[in-house]
Amino acid sequence: MTITSAPVTGEATKTWSGRAMPRKEDWRLVQGQGSFVDDGGMYGQGYAWFVRSPYGHARIVSIDCEPALSMDGVYTVLTGEEAKAMCEAPFFAIAPPPGSLMQEWPLAVGKVRYQGDAVAVVLADSRETARDAAERIVVEYEPLPAVTEGVAAADPTAPLLYDEAGTNVVWHGVFDYGDVDWALENADHVVKLDRLHFHRFSSTPLECNGAVVDFDHGTGMVSVLSNYQMPMFAAMVIGPTIGVPMNKFNFVTKDIGGAFGLKIGFYPQIAALALLSKKAGRPAKWTEFRTEHMLTAGHGNERTFIDIEVPVMADGTILGVKARAFDDAGAYLHYEPLGAVIWSQVVPGCYKLKHVRVDYTEVVSNKCPVTPNRGYSRMQHLWMIERIVDVVAHELGLDPVEVRKRNYVQPEDYPYETPNGCIYDSGDLPRSLDIALELAHVDEWRARQRELGTGSGRRIGIGIGSTLDSGTNNFGQSRIINPELPFSGNGEVAIAKLDLFGEINVNLGTTPQGQGHETTASQVAADILGVTPDDVTVSTGFNQANNAYVGFSGTYASQFAVTGLCAVMGAAQKLRHQIVKLAAFALHADEDEIELAGGVARVRGDEERAIPFIGLANMVYTNNAGLPAELLNECDLNARYAYVPPFEVPDTVAKTGNLTLTYASQVHVCVVEIDEETGEVKILDYAAVDDCGKRINPLVVEGQVHGATGLGIAASLYESLDYDESGQLEEPSFYEYHVATSLDIPNIVCGDIESPSPFTPNGAKGMGEGGGAPLHAVCSAIQDAIGAGGPIVTDSHNHWARVYEMLQRAPGAPRGVEVISRSAGSDTGATSL
Amino acid sequence: MLLEQVEYVRPESVGDALEILASDEGAAPLAGGQSLVNVLKNRVASVDVLVDISRLAELSSIARTADGGLSIGACVTYDALDRSPEVRASHWMLGEVAAHIEDQQIRNKGTIGGNCCLSDPTNNLPPILVALGAVMELRSRTGERSVPAVDFFKGYFATALEPGELLVSVTVPPIPEHSGAGYASLAVGADAKALVRAAARVTLDGSGATIADSCLVLARVAHVPVRDAEAEARLNGADATEEAVRAACAGVADGMQPIADVHGSSEYRRQMAKVTARRAVVQAIAAARGSRNGSTAGGK
Ligand SMILES: Cc1cc2nc3c(=O)[nH]c(=O)nc-3n(C[C@H](O)[C@H](O)[C@H](O)COP(=O)(O)OP(=O)(O)OC[C@H]3O[C@@H](n4cnc5c(N)ncnc54)[C@H](O)[C@@H]3O)c2cc1C
Repeated sequence: MTITSAPVTGEATKTWSGRAMPRKEDWRLVQGQGSFVDDGGMYGQGYAWFVRSPYGHARIVSIDCEPALSMDGVYTVLTGEEAKAMCEAPFFAIAPPPGSLMQEWPLAVGKVRYQGDAVAVVLADSRETARDAAERIVVEYEPLPAVTEGVAAADPTAPLLYDEAGTNVVWHGVFDYGDVDWALENADHVVKLDRLHFHRFSSTPLECNGAVVDFDHGTGMVSVLSNYQMPMFAAMVIGPTIGVPMNKFNFVTKDIGGAFGLKIGFYPQIAALALLSKKAGRPAKWTEFRTEHMLTAGHGNERTFIDIEVPVMADGTILGVKARAFDDAGAYLHYEPLGAVIWSQVVPGCYKLKHVRVDYTEVVSNKCPVTPNRGYSRMQHLWMIERIVDVVAHELGLDPVEVRKRNYVQPEDYPYETPNGCIYDSGDLPRSLDIALELAHVDEWRARQRELGTGSGRRIGIGIGSTLDSGTNNFGQSRIINPELPFSGNGEVAIAKLDLFGEINVNLGTTPQGQGHETTASQVAADILGVTPDDVTVSTGFNQANNAYVGFSGTYASQFAVTGLCAVMGAAQKLRHQIVKLAAFALHADEDEIELAGGVARVRGDEERAIPFIGLANMVYTNNAGLPAELLNECDLNARYAYVPPFEVPDTVAKTGNLTLTYASQVHVCVVEIDEETGEVKILDYAAVDDCGKRINPLVVEGQVHGATGLGIAASLYESLDYDESGQLEEPSFYEYHVATSLDIPNIVCGDIESPSPFTPNGAKGMGEGGGAPLHAVCSAIQDAIGAGGPIVTDSHNHWARVYEMLQRAPGAPRGVEVISRSAGSDTGATSL
Repeated sequence: MLLEQVEYVRPESVGDALEILASDEGAAPLAGGQSLVNVLKNRVASVDVLVDISRLAELSSIARTADGGLSIGACVTYDALDRSPEVRASHWMLGEVAAHIEDQQIRNKGTIGGNCCLSDPTNNLPPILVALGAVMELRSRTGERSVPAVDFFKGYFATALEPGELLVSVTVPPIPEHSGAGYASLAVGADAKALVRAAARVTLDGSGATIADSCLVLARVAHVPVRDAEAEARLNGADATEEAVRAACAGVADGMQPIADVHGSSEYRRQMAKVTARRAVVQAIAAARGSRNGSTAGGK
């Protein structure tokens, strides 16, 4: 088979969209001319330093700020109690009771609930002074017993984080689709797994969090220069708490050095800085340190699945799955418990599972609060699905490729409705898998694996990770968590403008963090306005004063290609319409005679009759006497467009509905070699096949694939955030947490197919998160290397020591899996392995 | 950035440095600063006066001793060790270990003295120096003394140095005929902290077929480098083959209670100590046989 990158369907590319163009923003970023939050500041600012708890769980007995306040250069100190007194309400809760009873304020009040919890914040004339002063604040704590494991936290006897709630359970719900009991009774085999655990890790952005916040006593304006990635969400959460209406905020972002969802979590710090600035009467600047980031900025969701039962037919058809899930949100609910529903965007994974019941519990524990983290909540579930598919193949002696192909949603099934009413838009999973197998040279590695046999001390394993990146959320799914919430749908805004000298400017509501928005937005606008991408200036980052936003604006959850670029498309088309109208007036022609090319509007077929954009801008901005009022009313050359994807409010009782607009798919194949004497896992070959519909810029897509793949491999082999029983993080710095670098990541061979989405105006799908495919593929490869009869890979993190331990485990030791076979003709009857 | 206020002096001679160190309890020598400055920034230790010894010519040279060994000044950097023709000619593996310490920026600044005096159990040089039988030359205002490397490392960030005392140089004896050194570490991930290391020196008999003498040093099993005397006894007299070495190393660390930390459990360390020990001894045998005094493998 030959592999081509050619699209399988879809129309020919236009001039700029679809081209693999280098990113416009890169020249400034690679020359050190990017401008990040710490590069910015405000007149008269002080420097903030948070005083943080060394304990995982403790009562705050007293705080003595006097030693800090008496130091030269210290402006003020704000404690948790004081901050609370300045607030009108705790932060808005997404959860209904009991979750809503777990109140959070800008700083800890009464007790600390995780190591790093902020109890006070200092403002001083330098960072050094602020830090020195913070060290002098004396906080007396009374340590409390901690709970640091999700399943244990749900136990009624566990130490409580919030006495007011009377439980650590934030939210519980049963997602029940089809008839899993019937399936379990009628299946030929039932594969049972005791426990699967998806570990905690972070995507480790290069740039930590930061903000400069000014509370202007004169105007009441709160200016927030930050690298927060979903600005209006922060405004909506903290506004009612600190008593600031939406029109008194001005959120601004600049270049952002990676966010991955983690930069949705630090709104409490922004609120605390606003109050600190209010108290001090000057702006407060805070730049997070790496250890502070690792302790407090947010970790990805950790999820434990127990009592997993998988009904399977003799031919390998998997009927569904039944499981209990415990998601550990950490100490405070930042964006949570949205994760408790977001996974249900991908209930059956890539497969035609019909009968699914997940009994889902979300808990708090004495650990860093979780935040969305690349692949947010779906990755955990998809990993579980992919593990069970792999284990089914393994335990029933079936070919893992065949089991996947048999159960995949097939190309002819699209649009495919999942058991909970989500609509998978398009794709070709079997073909994606074939391409990935070919690119990773699987036939050769299988032969090498057989050659190697046993006794060489080395083992080869081949693994597959099939996954989905669901993009463009329907925020109505939040109502499945809490029917009272006033959220549904989604949207994004762009403004396309012709400036005074005819320059084209585009403002976005997004907060790019490396996704190349300046490039792709200018490609799209250039095609519509008849110019080159270099002629289009896309402003960097978010600025509330631009008025290019809706409540959901930002960059997160795999949606820019749809929400962002469709907004750009709409705005550019609106602007084009105005340009054409003005040109038709100026050139005494019909509108349908006008064409735009090279920054000029002209009459088709008559080159002499033309007017450059500067002439049109002049007509509107600086030379408009005598123009018809109707023309001026319609053509202000300032076109704002809000793209709103088509969604309905989900059924909150049945927990069904269309929860996301698009489903990009990723199929990864990983070949590993394991050194039996150390457990070392070395990746020998790696292929990633992405299908994200129409690609506006294939180079940007490939960059995202590389990034997501690197992070996934890092998480699967190197990166894990673990707590001891008292709630101490065991990896609070890069000394303990090995962040994978390019030296750890193998060469990644990318393949692609394009199955355009029928639901998006541009055929594109969001794809930046990547669905955690490497975690699935690496686990699957390790499982393959362990071979028949060995233990099951039950954890998403497989440090060498864990692999070594699995290889050492005595034959006959519990394997964590059981197969019950009931088929009439089966020669094994009921077996218990 | 973000250091506490600290004084800085740069004495003109070792004598002056010793005067300052003796007169001020809060003074500490600053060599490459690659650990000390980080420690100060993290505020896990504090110092009143930094006595910068890094530019003292007296401490920065590498000299051949009369018996063919090396005398290495305490402020010789890793990069200088790596690139020294003297070191490479007689103690190839020492240069190789230095060449593998972290990245070039750290190798440009970090010194053999700092690496030893910090006694950070993860540091690369202490185990190889113990294996090579190095001697630490210490000086204070009142006198000089020599401490064998094996006795110099006292514990977690603790050495035999007395207050006011400086390490001035490290004497490394010559490597005897038919001898070689090996060095192996196990780290999960590129440039990650090693979870266990082994350094070995072996001397083969005249025929090159058997191991006449050996020194096997394990690091990260305890907080300081330790010799595994039982394994050495099994190695001495054994065939100089991979199988025989594997057999002799099967019991490595069995009598020890390896430490456990975030980088590895006690039991995993014990098992990995066997593997790295074997790898280091096999390298050392190859080196002993080779024309070089060190093999091209290892050092990491
Ligand atoms: C990111 C990073 C990673 C690193 N990883 C490794 C690694 O994997 N392996 C490794 O071996 N090293 C590593 N290092 C540490 C590095 O090797 C340091 O250079 C070394 O630990 C100290 O050497 P220094 O010359 O910088 O000493 P300094 O930091 O200046 O001093 C260290 C200590 O020794 C004392 N001291 C220094 N010289 C003398 C002397 N002559 N007499 C008495 N006391 C003295 C100082 O007072 C201080 O207490 C790393 C460093 C960094 C920054």
